[in-house]
Amino acid sequence: MLCALLLGSIAACTPATAKVFFRVAPSPLPPAAKTAIQDLVLAWPLRDSSIIAKFREQGYNVWLQCDSKDLAPAVTVADRMAVRGLIVTKLADAKQSPSKEVSSFAAAHKNLAFRVLVSGGKQPQMKGRLVVERDGILQVSSPSTQPWLDSNLAIGRLAHSIYPDSFPIMYDFRWAAPGEPPRGAWHPDAEDYALAIAESDAIRSDVIVELPSSLQKALTAEDPQAWWLWRKVVPYLDFSSHAPVTNVQPVASLGVIVDEVQRSYEAINLMARHNLAFEAVHPAGLTPDRLANWNSVVVFCSLNAEAAVMLRNFAANGGIVIFVNSHDKFPWHSTSPLRRESHSTTYTAGAGQIVELGEPVVDPENFARDLRRLIGPDRSALALWNSLTTLATAYREEGQHDISLYLVNYADQPDNIQVQVKGHFTSVRLESPEETCCVSLPFVERNGFTEFTVPSLRVGARVHLDYLKAGSAAQ
Amino acid sequence: MRWLKPAALASLSLAALLAWTLCSAQSSAFIHQKRYVMGTVFEIVIYDEDLSQADDAARAALDEALRLDAVMSNYKPESELSRMNRSAHFQPVHISHELYEVIEQSLFYSRISDGQFDISVGPLVDLWKAALAGGPLPSVAEQAAALHCVGYQKIELMSPDRIQFHSDCMRLDLGAIGKGYAVDRMVELLRARGIHRAYIDAGGSTIYAMNTPPGAKAWSVRLRDPSGKLDPEIMLMNSSVSTSEQSAPSVLQGDAPGHIVLPGTGKPLQTRYAVSVTTASAAASDALSTTLLLLGPTRGAALVKTLHDVSAIWIDSDGQRTVAGEGAAFHLAGESRSARISPATRMMIETFEADRDLRQ
Repeated sequence: MLCALLLGSIAACTPATAKVFFRVAPSPLPPAAKTAIQDLVLAWPLRDSSIIAKFREQGYNVWLQCDSKDLAPAVTVADRMAVRGLIVTKLADAKQSPSKEVSSFAAAHKNLAFRVLVSGGKQPQMKGRLVVERDGILQVSSPSTQPWLDSNLAIGRLAHSIYPDSFPIMYDFRWAAPGEPPRGAWHPDAEDYALAIAESDAIRSDVIVELPSSLQKALTAEDPQAWWLWRKVVPYLDFSSHAPVTNVQPVASLGVIVDEVQRSYEAINLMARHNLAFEAVHPAGLTPDRLANWNSVVVFCSLNAEAAVMLRNFAANGGIVIFVNSHDKFPWHSTSPLRRESHSTTYTAGAGQIVELGEPVVDPENFARDLRRLIGPDRSALALWNSLTTLATAYREEGQHDISLYLVNYADQPDNIQVQVKGHFTSVRLESPEETCCVSLPFVERNGFTEFTVPSLRVGARVHLDYLKAGSAAQ
Repeated sequence: MRWLKPAALASLSLAALLAWTLCSAQSSAFIHQKRYVMGTVFEIVIYDEDLSQADDAARAALDEALRLDAVMSNYKPESELSRMNRSAHFQPVHISHELYEVIEQSLFYSRISDGQFDISVGPLVDLWKAALAGGPLPSVAEQAAALHCVGYQKIELMSPDRIQFHSDCMRLDLGAIGKGYAVDRMVELLRARGIHRAYIDAGGSTIYAMNTPPGAKAWSVRLRDPSGKLDPEIMLMNSSVSTSEQSAPSVLQGDAPGHIVLPGTGKPLQTRYAVSVTTASAAASDALSTTLLLLGPTRGAALVKTLHDVSAIWIDSDGQRTVAGEGAAFHLAGESRSARISPATRMMIETFEADRDLRQ
């Protein structure tokens, strides 16, 4: 489904709010002031729309989630019941821009907000090798011996790039079926909610989280165990809701050129998992200005002659270009390759190099490791050390040098995260659900990088790196 | 040698066995817990009538692994191993019972492998690790300097609890045995808590099966096969299996080094084999898997013949395999026959196959 929806053009990043929506049953829930939830999602069709008014009275923003074919009746109810907005789940034509389907409704109903939901998300979690299902069947899971992280970063990064002039994109996921929880334990538990919230914050993408009806009922019934769980979730909701809403762009040293997601998704997923700071761009959006932001490029699609020349010039200026499953003819083929291996051919281009991989990415894990190795530590915009369960994303506002770094720890125990960010900064400040903003972190500058350690990262945190302005002294 | 063994795989295939279980006996409930330990994910499955007891026991076992990580980690500067590595050059230092024991076991495997297994390989591993991360390949001089620091004979254990290095640059790395040692301690802990049926997976590269799943005669574990042709399996009961394999070669660069280093030459091992070893102890299977990968099938098989209750299988990327030992048998489902079936396990596998055929 995801792949079907991601067939559109992938271009410039759109601003994102990283709000956490909760999909609930149309039944009672304690007031917003108590749950710390701001936005509720109700699935269309609704049997009794009066629940909308009740939720609104309790302080919630209410959204309706519907297929595009149901937009007309849903909008009518939304107008009547003062719903905050609509979330469009399925597009009639996956290849069609959602703008065309939704924009006519949006133009006629300016009081309503509209969002497009991309399906195919996964419950964020650290996984081992076993999959335990409710019926007791165990199966082989990932063949990776490093902790496998189910993450929505690749989906989020691609989805936010997909419809440049469209409505905000959001994702959702289903909670994985549990094994046999011990008596009295909730599934999902507080850490599961916290991780989903922190991940959405790091991806800078809206997410819909399912609130199981059993928990909804228990919270309404003032069940002490349910509230014991939820009180642990509230700080993460508060933390997420206080994130700055700005038109940020990912800090990326690596560009990914892609026009079709199916054959590149898993490779990009593993690139995200290995903390390769990247952004995805459709070939049509490739410009010299855009290339100037990166020092490496991975190409998953065919390019026209103009784009090929652009990439050759990029390499000539010291860049690294990697073509995946490349069988096109390129100008540099007239020169002798620097190296010819069983899977790849490497050409020298000025100060840089061009690597052509003659096959698709068969082993995404190995490819991502190779990529990090080829790019090298000096070219990486950010790096983590000994933090195999942590994902990092970095953003800056357009034209600004200050960076906000988002960290998400998928393991269930705190970890000290050693971080290296390219650039010089005057201060490094940490905020987290456990720490009121902000705690200054000691840092050192080394070879053009700023290095620091985030102590005891539990689930999520933001680190603000303030840029060293001319004439300022570093710490 | 380090905690992680990329692509060193031995994976669990329990669907068939569990289906069998459901046919032949009423299944007990089970719990499944996982924890990030030693750079990988440790997982435990416990079958027990009392799930609260099982849950507590699994948590305690994972806590034990975490505690041992704090003892044996070479990534954590404040681990007992790291502190020992900084000070044992100067004078004998006191170490914990666990650290003493795992080093003692390591030295045993160093001696029987004529130094192919060597926990003093740390400086060499660190040297090549930088290259693995994208740094330049180490120079010949750097390799020689690191090689100078290596040699298990320079480690002196003084019973009952002291150690001294007879080299000023020695640094121990327990990556090739530590996970197995931790699994053995977890098994002890589970048994002490009355757990009888459990499966412990240390990131896939070392697995221990306690007893059997309810109604089944063994835990069936699928093993790493670089060729994808043989589909090897082993049936475990109160035994362990470990798998080692060199890092996958780079598809973008031809000269990327692997993570397993030959102590003799100081260079990364070049091999197309994956090797799986089964024996009664997880520390033994863990240490032997690396040892036998380094030795290769010819010398490795000769070593296995000298050991009690050990079996090993080497499989290369073309599907060529060598099997050795008198322990549990490897079943090659891809060839529809066993590579070597010991009398003790022949009946078990035949029963399993017959039951599987019946279900189909």
